[in-house]
Amino acid sequence: METLTNTPLSGEVLDEIIEKHRGRPGMLLTTLEEVQEKNPLKYLPCETLTEVSKKMNIPYTQVYGVATFYSYFNLKPQGKHTVVVCRGTACHTKGSKALLDDVAAIVGIGRGADGSDSSYTTSDNLFTVRTVACFGQCAQSPVVEVDGVIHSNVNTQKLLKIMNRIKKEKPKK
Amino acid sequence: MEVRINNQTVQAAEGSTIWQACRTAGIHVPSLCYLKDVSQNASCGVCVVEVKGARSLLRSCITKVTEGMEIFTDSPRAMKARKMNVELLLANHSQDCLICDRNGNCELQQLTFTLGINTRRFERTRKEHYMKDESSLSLVRDPEKCILCGRCVAVCSDLQNVKAIDFAGRGLKTRVSTFLDEGLGLVACTNCGQCALVCPTGAITEKSAVGDVRKALQDPGKVVLVQTAPAVRVGIGEAMGMPYGSLVTGQMVAGLRRLGFSKVFDTDFAADLTIVEEGNELLRRINNGGILPMITSCSPGWIKFIEHFYPEQLGHLSTCKSPQQMFGAVAKTYYAEKTGTDPRKIVVVSVMPCTAKKYEARRPEMDGAFQYWKEKMNLSEEEHFFDVDFSLTTRELARMFRETGIEFLQLPKEEFDSPLGESSGAGVIFGSTGGVMEAALRTAYELYTGKPPEGVDFYAVRGVEGIREADINLNGTIVKVAVAHTLKNAGILLDQIRNGTSPYTFIEVMTCPGGCLGGGGQPIPTNAEIREKRAASIYLEDKHKTIRKSHKNPEILSLYKEFLVEPLGEKSHHLLHTHYVERG
Repeated sequence: METLTNTPLSGEVLDEIIEKHRGRPGMLLTTLEEVQEKNPLKYLPCETLTEVSKKMNIPYTQVYGVATFYSYFNLKPQGKHTVVVCRGTACHTKGSKALLDDVAAIVGIGRGADGSDSSYTTSDNLFTVRTVACFGQCAQSPVVEVDGVIHSNVNTQKLLKIMNRIKKEKPKK
Repeated sequence: MEVRINNQTVQAAEGSTIWQACRTAGIHVPSLCYLKDVSQNASCGVCVVEVKGARSLLRSCITKVTEGMEIFTDSPRAMKARKMNVELLLANHSQDCLICDRNGNCELQQLTFTLGINTRRFERTRKEHYMKDESSLSLVRDPEKCILCGRCVAVCSDLQNVKAIDFAGRGLKTRVSTFLDEGLGLVACTNCGQCALVCPTGAITEKSAVGDVRKALQDPGKVVLVQTAPAVRVGIGEAMGMPYGSLVTGQMVAGLRRLGFSKVFDTDFAADLTIVEEGNELLRRINNGGILPMITSCSPGWIKFIEHFYPEQLGHLSTCKSPQQMFGAVAKTYYAEKTGTDPRKIVVVSVMPCTAKKYEARRPEMDGAFQYWKEKMNLSEEEHFFDVDFSLTTRELARMFRETGIEFLQLPKEEFDSPLGESSGAGVIFGSTGGVMEAALRTAYELYTGKPPEGVDFYAVRGVEGIREADINLNGTIVKVAVAHTLKNAGILLDQIRNGTSPYTFIEVMTCPGGCLGGGGQPIPTNAEIREKRAASIYLEDKHKTIRKSHKNPEILSLYKEFLVEPLGEKSHHLLHTHYVERG
């Protein structure tokens, strides 16, 4: 199993990203996006938030407010693969709750990610399961997004196929 | 301009909001998140009104009036929406009003009553149950009582520029929080308590020391001394049902005696002591090329602010402890010696208009008296004591008066005890912005020029503007001084120092608007009008004092003669002066 290390970005990489966005409108948002993208575990560790705040001279609380407001930002390490189940009204009526339970069973999380926590990550860091209120793909409901690709009209069989495929994928070097 | 409110034609000032126009016309539109001079974020939806031609209801606190506007504050639609908005707030609000700190003084409770809400219509929607945050030595936050009005966020950011708290999360998970949801005691909070002062509910309150004080009062082995800050005498009356700014020094002293304190002393005495030390320190800095401008150090919120945000400028701070701490150190050394009391038996309680004083009293270095006695009495570390044991806010004292059944309005006027109870008018005005400066000038002028100033009133440093400056003529030498209140304004003066453009020799900073009389521990409500009334009372007390200058206070003179020897001397150095911490 591939092990991912939990290292915040180095000072130089962070400086580079910050300088790139400095002075632009919404610079905090775009900076945090890129910082998260560059993190091997696709999240914003506390140390990074502190550094961003200091280097950009933006109050800690404001950085934290932005990082917790947008569901795009993760404050916990993310799995190698991300599965997002839509829990919007249309998908719900087409059975997305059952799909969420299926995903939980497939990746081996005890309960679905529909609780108060917005996401669950498996202990081996392979999968993160999240829900979303709506993808805007209601005509093709229920939809499930796996690693950035939206799959439409998903049922248990289709889901199993997708999941088995990515499980077999060779770890990227 | 002319507008119509509830079918009445009324005049409204151009540029005023609907809410203000209604107020002028004698119609009170209920509001919650809106607080004059503080917050206007239009989040609560309580002040909605119906306006003819507008598709939706409008929030009267942010909508400006226009010519001929037809406003209905009492239409069924507006009243229904207003009521429902409060009911929705109640859904996620904890329902323990009876045992809440703000019971009887809660805006949400009052609003619920006023709007005639008598059932709980909506179920709780928030899944999380938040724990109380008791990590701070000064303040307790209870997010379960928070209605997200944003007033605390506004004062912390706009008034104080501290930004210790802000909104975090989104939707149902929205909360007022610190960075990383750490405890308030673990982040860069100055403990000023302005958040507690503006909170409409009991979501932010002071950390109460009432229980500890009661315990000490009931302990026959203790000698419990109390000291009261200047601003308490113009605030406590309000909390006991008297008009805003009532000056009740004598009744307060009587009330404290009835609570069982052994001696009732005055922090104003220690304020006089501070002035003598600080005045001499200023002259020493001027004469010996010390770090200037020198900045006052009485306000513990301000101290923590500069320690966190401008640590490189700590050298500008006067090394004088605040009056609260000077009092504690003197009480447990000089007073103990003079009366032959074992310092370990003395409990010093302070009553302060302040929440930050609770933190200050627990700063590890504030144990001058223990260090003084340690060798003399061969004390062990287990016997360690602080100079000030407990600090109460004005509000907590009011609670103690009520609990004890003291009929405050019927109390006689009594005098402070001696020898730590006499004070000059200079000590009294410490409670107002500009007061420490004026008190210092009354003494420094005389120290510098060798003759008394023509008048003791330095009007130039009084007032309510955020930053005031004055040129003081010391026998031909012009000294520039500045006074700032609120930490945002203090920051402006510190930025000048950082840029090398500060023209001042001496600066006074107070953390809270209006100075201590507008402190975070004062009665709720506190606003600009109320602060002005309290200030008027403080200056009135000063005016009626026979002694107006700190260095003329006979008890101060005795203290130096019998104990301290001289200002800035060896004993002063250990007991009355301190050092600061770079917190970054």
